[in-house]
Amino acid sequence: MCGIAGYYDKSSGSTGLIGCTVLDMLRALGCRGPDSAGVALYHAPADGDFVLQIKLGEAGHSQNPTENVIAKVSALSKPKDVSTTGGYLRLTIDGTLDPGRVAAAVESTGSEVEVVSMGRRLEIVKQVGSPDRLEETFRISEFKGSHSIGHTRMSTESKVDLSHSQPFWAHGCPDVAIVHNGHITNYHKLRRQYEQHGTRFYTENDSEIIGVYVAQGLSRGLSLEEVLHAALADWDGSFSCLVSTADAMGFVKDSFAHKPLLFGETDGFAVVATEEVALRAVFGSELKVREAGAREVKVWRN
Amino acid sequence: MAKLTCEGRTIREINAEIRRLLKDGEAVTVSSPGARHNLGVALLESGDVLFDGSVGYYCAGLIDGVKVRIKGSAGWGLAESMLSGEVIVEGNAGNSAGAAIRGGALVVQGDSGARTGVSMKNGLIIVTGSCGYMSGFMGQGGKMIICGDAAEAFGDSMYETICFVGGEIADLGNDAIVAESTDEDKQFLDASLTRYLPASVCANLPDGGDFKKVVSDRKLWNFKKSEWKTWEQAL
Repeated sequence: MCGIAGYYDKSSGSTGLIGCTVLDMLRALGCRGPDSAGVALYHAPADGDFVLQIKLGEAGHSQNPTENVIAKVSALSKPKDVSTTGGYLRLTIDGTLDPGRVAAAVESTGSEVEVVSMGRRLEIVKQVGSPDRLEETFRISEFKGSHSIGHTRMSTESKVDLSHSQPFWAHGCPDVAIVHNGHITNYHKLRRQYEQHGTRFYTENDSEIIGVYVAQGLSRGLSLEEVLHAALADWDGSFSCLVSTADAMGFVKDSFAHKPLLFGETDGFAVVATEEVALRAVFGSELKVREAGAREVKVWRN
Repeated sequence: MAKLTCEGRTIREINAEIRRLLKDGEAVTVSSPGARHNLGVALLESGDVLFDGSVGYYCAGLIDGVKVRIKGSAGWGLAESMLSGEVIVEGNAGNSAGAAIRGGALVVQGDSGARTGVSMKNGLIIVTGSCGYMSGFMGQGGKMIICGDAAEAFGDSMYETICFVGGEIADLGNDAIVAESTDEDKQFLDASLTRYLPASVCANLPDGGDFKKVVSDRKLWNFKKSEWKTWEQAL
């Protein structure tokens, strides 16, 4: 199961209450995945700085390493706007730094410390529990921006904790996030190939490979459309997958249309969800929607 | 005409109320369906039911005799295993519309998803628009009319379902072939389309004689070692 949802504002504005839109869609999809909930939200660029959302540790496991993280990061550049919410440390830092170096500095402070997201526009928050609980902790309904993707998870093969929740940031690739409903059945084979080239994996969740794959494709200079088309040849199994970047959102559906995914579009916005119930809950009865076809790829970009 | 709102009711309560009203001989209008799942499942009474909006998965599954109209879209498994009756959806339908139906008529006035009519045993499916991947898969009987285009692997591994496609077929499935239409086929097409589709829609459709007829080549019906290549490809 799992439920995924995405909303893309075509007006190029970053002032829409996208957090509220995606939260309401996730609430409607909540019965598809009670294990965890998360969102990737894109706000207006903040002076080119990177915004980091950092997991300090699974609840109750480790002592608070906030000061260690700040000390390590300060060696690269002085962090700004430092705050903590719900087990996350959020900070902004000079956006000209190498993202890999920043993440390595943060994650050197403890095995449970993980950069959950990094980008000039992207912020990911996710945690175990329902979309309502996510709202209680992070007040995502107040979040304004241009586009967002979200996920409610029903775990089938890997454990239930914050790191295994979705969306996944494409580690090392600023502003790129993914959500996935399905199973990547050649995950272990692909993972071994990536690990032989030094890629670090943070979880046992097969969906994590999607972020790695997209990050590598984009860094080779492929467009998001090209990456998603290439994925049809490289991924086995079932997938309805949403990918977002700083300025685009797109989806890909597997060759057999194993997993549901609907989309609708007006002149002002595009919206994608696992089930129509999420679209009707937020957009009423008028919006025309269609089930995406097998091997269908679609990307919206301003 | 009885009215019923889905708001504040569980699916069991909604379906029980529809059944009760149909038994009383009422035509039922169901408002605010909100794309919820399992609406109007296993209605065994005759009569008319209108869903005033989109419905979720498995709507009108296992029905026997009732006429259902949906003023919106439908999710996966629309009219699954229908025995008899009529289901008309004014918008699009998700995957597996009309799966395993044994009779009745399903009309999708928009597009339908993957595996439309999968394993249908009898009855009629009409899609005004296009149908998705592997539609008609393992169809055992009945007829399917796609007025628009058919996606890849159309009519794969069929038994005796007969399909008609007005638009382009992206790719025929294993053991599916285009056969010559007969005068009887053309009469059937014209009669079915006129009966189930509005005149304004019929006016823009291909003539009955321009539909491609797709049937099984029967090569996969019985295993023959000498035709191993055919099987290798199919499996």
